Amino acid sequence: MNKRWLELSVGLMMVAGVAALVALALQVSGGNMSRNAQSYAISALFENAAGLGPKAKVTMAGVTVGEVVSVAIDPNALMAVVNMEIYGQVDYLSIDSSASILTAGLLGEKYVGLTVGAEEEVLVDGDVIEDTQSALVLEELIGQFLLNFGDN
Amino acid sequence: MINLIADLGSGLLGKLVRIGQALLMLLQATIVRPKASSFSRLIQQLYVVGVQSLIIILVSALFIGMVLGLQGYTLLAAYGTEQAVGQMVALTLVRELSPVVAALLFAGRAGSALTAEIGLMKATEQLASLEMFGVDPLHRIVAPRFWAGIISLPLLVAIFSLVGIYGGHLVAVDWLGVYSGSYWGNMQQAVDFNGDVLNGMVKALVFAFLISWTAVYQGYTCVPTSQGISAATTRTVVYSSLAILGFDFILTALMFGGTV
Amino acid sequence: MAIDDIINIQNVSFYRDDRAIFKNLNCAISTGKITAIMGPSGSGKTTLLRLIGGQLNPHEGQIRLFDQDIAALNRKQLNQIRARMGVLFQSGALFTDLSVFENVAFPLREHMHLSADELYNKVLLKLEAVGLRGARDLMPSQLSGGMARRVALARAVAMEPELILYDEPFAGQDPIAMAVLQRLIKDLNSAMNLTSVLVSHDIAEACAIADQVILLGEGRVLVQDTPAALQASNDPAVKQFIHGEADGVIPFHFAAPALQQELRGGSE
Repeated sequence: MNKRWLELSVGLMMVAGVAALVALALQVSGGNMSRNAQSYAISALFENAAGLGPKAKVTMAGVTVGEVVSVAIDPNALMAVVNMEIYGQVDYLSIDSSASILTAGLLGEKYVGLTVGAEEEVLVDGDVIEDTQSALVLEELIGQFLLNFGDN
Repeated sequence: MINLIADLGSGLLGKLVRIGQALLMLLQATIVRPKASSFSRLIQQLYVVGVQSLIIILVSALFIGMVLGLQGYTLLAAYGTEQAVGQMVALTLVRELSPVVAALLFAGRAGSALTAEIGLMKATEQLASLEMFGVDPLHRIVAPRFWAGIISLPLLVAIFSLVGIYGGHLVAVDWLGVYSGSYWGNMQQAVDFNGDVLNGMVKALVFAFLISWTAVYQGYTCVPTSQGISAATTRTVVYSSLAILGFDFILTALMFGGTV
Repeated sequence: MAIDDIINIQNVSFYRDDRAIFKNLNCAISTGKITAIMGPSGSGKTTLLRLIGGQLNPHEGQIRLFDQDIAALNRKQLNQIRARMGVLFQSGALFTDLSVFENVAFPLREHMHLSADELYNKVLLKLEAVGLRGARDLMPSQLSGGMARRVALARAVAMEPELILYDEPFAGQDPIAMAVLQRLIKDLNSAMNLTSVLVSHDIAEACAIADQVILLGEGRVLVQDTPAALQASNDPAVKQFIHGEADGVIPFHFAAPALQQELRGGSE
């Protein structure tokens, strides 16, 4: 075995391995890096958070700006508290922003959509969004439709 | 009954003693100041352990990626969501199949060869003869092989993932007509570098440790006869495969199961 | 500092599992001689070599090598002692990934800081001494058994040791290779002022070159004497071994109950 060829092939393998890892970073994951070091937490109270769970996307104008951390019940208000982490660079959500639970496609997953209001002041770590719209529950929708249909 | 318990106890104690021995051997072999010549020995072993495993890794990665592309396509096409095939192929490979399959192949290809080689050196008294020349066989023989395993497998796993994803692309996009943009686009949206790719690499590193450790220990402690070496080689493959699958479950639960 | 006895074994006991391989073994090997350690298979000849080389430690007693207790030495001191001795293993134990030249050069590279030319000349001289200068570029797998053992011998004497241990040097060799090895062992011993210890059960070959014979059996030294005295001995165990009788003091049968008790049926 030629020593030069041996060293060369080992070198090639190392380069190929590292290159593959770089390709996985750029081409496959598209440079997606989660766990943004600077992110801040906000929460929102919903009448109904059916179908929403941890890791669900938080979007604004269709662009992901954070993710849901947990969904719990607020024992005082008897409403669902959705805790969210928002990326640090998204620091322009006004305090009168509204949150709604939306569905990706007819049968797709639930996610939170944020809409920015008109106020100058912005949401900071620990703030709560008051203005919310709950999840659409298909069964309730059909029930209402049938009720209206019966009235006519 | 008492005998049974006593046997069980002494059996368990024996296992613990062996694990302790293996750990001490590893510490003695690896905690040492490297010499200039150890680097060229490491290169030599990287060739034997890493480069010579490349072919089997490349071929299996290509076929596994193609099968995933085909299976994913037929499954997802039933719901009209065949665009998601890229995401399915990539996540399956990066999180699970690349580390596990590459590690199992590595155990069969490189682990068994390491055990057999060290065992044969023991049987032909090469280890004893090194000792008589004042050279510690743990440093000379065991350490470079152990490190070569630790370095090679993560690289092979990264190559495995990438080749597999292109194999899936070949079937899903080039043959079955999924739009190339959605193949990559969906994948890029779904795959997270830290959460998926790096966790897969952590798995690879853990498996590399398990395989290399098992292989050098079995070789170094085998009974130096032809039956002894063949039994040790079998044990390397069986023990490291079981360890890979067991640890894969634990690691998966830690990495991806935490939110449930 | 001339010591009369280069190896001194004092009250050594060694057990494998619960079986005693040696029980209170005492013997001494004198400097400058060729000593043959003989005994039937399983009498612990190879174990004794391992004990002398410090690869095993005795459970009781001590082994003094160059007048030092080898079990009491630390790793560095042990390696210094080992640099003064060479071992020829039964299988030759050549490093299979190195050429003949590199095998012989191995101990020199490890322990001496020689220039490339000095190293080359030294290795070539050692190979010349065993008649294999022309084979220096071959790999161990290309050598016959006898040649491999000669290369191993060149490697064992490369460091110019004071003591050399041979483990079964004649086992499995054809008559010509055996004669070659015999000559080499004898010539090297006188030319290099060595002490040679060879473990063997090839009686005729070993007796032909040995100055002293130590006969092992039942975990102890049965007799230590010159080959000539051994040939003439009347001790039944010695006679059985030297003349190769199947049954005698060392029984043909492995220890077992009487045959009548073990056969089934019809004995009552």
